[in-house]
Amino acid sequence: MLEFKDINIKFADKVLFNNFNIKVRAGEKVLLNAPSGSGKSTLFRAFLGFQRINSGEIIFDGKKLAKNTLNYFRQNSCYVSQDVDLRNEVVSELLKEIFSYKCNKNTTIEQRKVKELFSYFDLQEDMFTKNVKELSGGERQRLGLIICILLNRKIWLLDEVTSGLDKKMKEKVVEFILKSDKTVIIISHDSDWVKNEMLRIVRW
Amino acid sequence: METGNLTIISLIKIGILIIPILILNKYFRIKLNKKIFYAFSRMIIQLTLVGIFLQYIFDLDSPLINTLYLLFMMTVASFSAINKCSLDWKKYVLPILLAFFLPNIVMIFYFNKFVVNLNNVFDTQYFIPIAGMLLGNSLSGIIIGVNNFYSSIKENEKKYFYVLSISANKLEALRPYFRQAILVSNNPTLASIETMGLVALPGMMTGQILGGVVPIVAIKYQIAIMIAVFIVRYFSLILAIFLTGYKAFDEYDVLIE
Repeated sequence: MLEFKDINIKFADKVLFNNFNIKVRAGEKVLLNAPSGSGKSTLFRAFLGFQRINSGEIIFDGKKLAKNTLNYFRQNSCYVSQDVDLRNEVVSELLKEIFSYKCNKNTTIEQRKVKELFSYFDLQEDMFTKNVKELSGGERQRLGLIICILLNRKIWLLDEVTSGLDKKMKEKVVEFILKSDKTVIIISHDSDWVKNEMLRIVRW
Repeated sequence: METGNLTIISLIKIGILIIPILILNKYFRIKLNKKIFYAFSRMIIQLTLVGIFLQYIFDLDSPLINTLYLLFMMTVASFSAINKCSLDWKKYVLPILLAFFLPNIVMIFYFNKFVVNLNNVFDTQYFIPIAGMLLGNSLSGIIIGVNNFYSSIKENEKKYFYVLSISANKLEALRPYFRQAILVSNNPTLASIETMGLVALPGMMTGQILGGVVPIVAIKYQIAIMIAVFIVRYFSLILAIFLTGYKAFDEYDVLIE
């Protein structure tokens, strides 16, 4: 499904990855566990083409990341970044915009599904009329996750999506993600993930 | 109404009124006198040169010379815009030059032919001043808009990446920054159009009236030129963003530093 093969990434002052390898099978849930600053987020960025690799290959569904396959990578993955970088906009407008993008037009969002997700993740419906700026970190994380779920793509790249949530909510989010049929790669320092057996942990 | 021609003496008469300011600055220890000397000397030298040059061009009244002069002004404007936007001139001189060239050339000929109804669209008396007004506005429009466009993408890089990751489409991801740039560049023009005549008389109109034109004709020119200015400013900026945008992003849609 996904393979990072002999990846080398160097910055001016340090070597981030030296012949790094990882393979992820379809449906697998993988937790990347490494100290801060060791380049976990950089791997996600490399997958999406935001960070160039010095050498190596990133292969997704048999396609090697390059100019002509880049859109396949982006269209079939969903990335929730550490700070959930949503543009400041009224939430309902933002959702409307996201689902009006050409590649999302065929993804229908059912109101029922949205409501279900909102109540599962304990979000109030008046959030739709709020500005993204007014949301708390935890609310933003859950909104980012809901967008990711609604987009219904093959692979999820989740960067610290539980850091701003309380204990109970962390457990709910972890449970939801591990139960999904998607391929999921997770970056997190939360212990709630580690104790789970369904999860493959990759350390370096 | 006869125009009183200003003499050197007239200029000195207005000039001596600056002296009290120089004295006050000295008294209050406001560090402005050096700047005043510098600014006014520069203005006098520049305008004198331009005056001599314009007189020469008016006497010649040659389509070729006028066109060359317009191209020269556009080149200067392009370099000025590239400089103010901190762009790499080797890479962007052609896109920016085109962004100035297309809307301004079309407008100047349209304006002279169909609005003023000139037989000779190169008539120096119209060609040079109108081109100057249009170009000046294109310049400020491009500087404000292009700067805003690229700096807000840079500042919001992560947000741009996020949208790019879920839309997989550079144009869709750039749309908000494009909208914002157009707004920021057009708002000042619209604000000044809105208050035109109430707060201050526009410069061109004042000049025309002082030059002996009746006010009713002067306002018609003012209205026509403001519309022309607005249109040219709008299209110059759109072109500037589109044409530079081709070169500003790498093949993975990431803004090249």
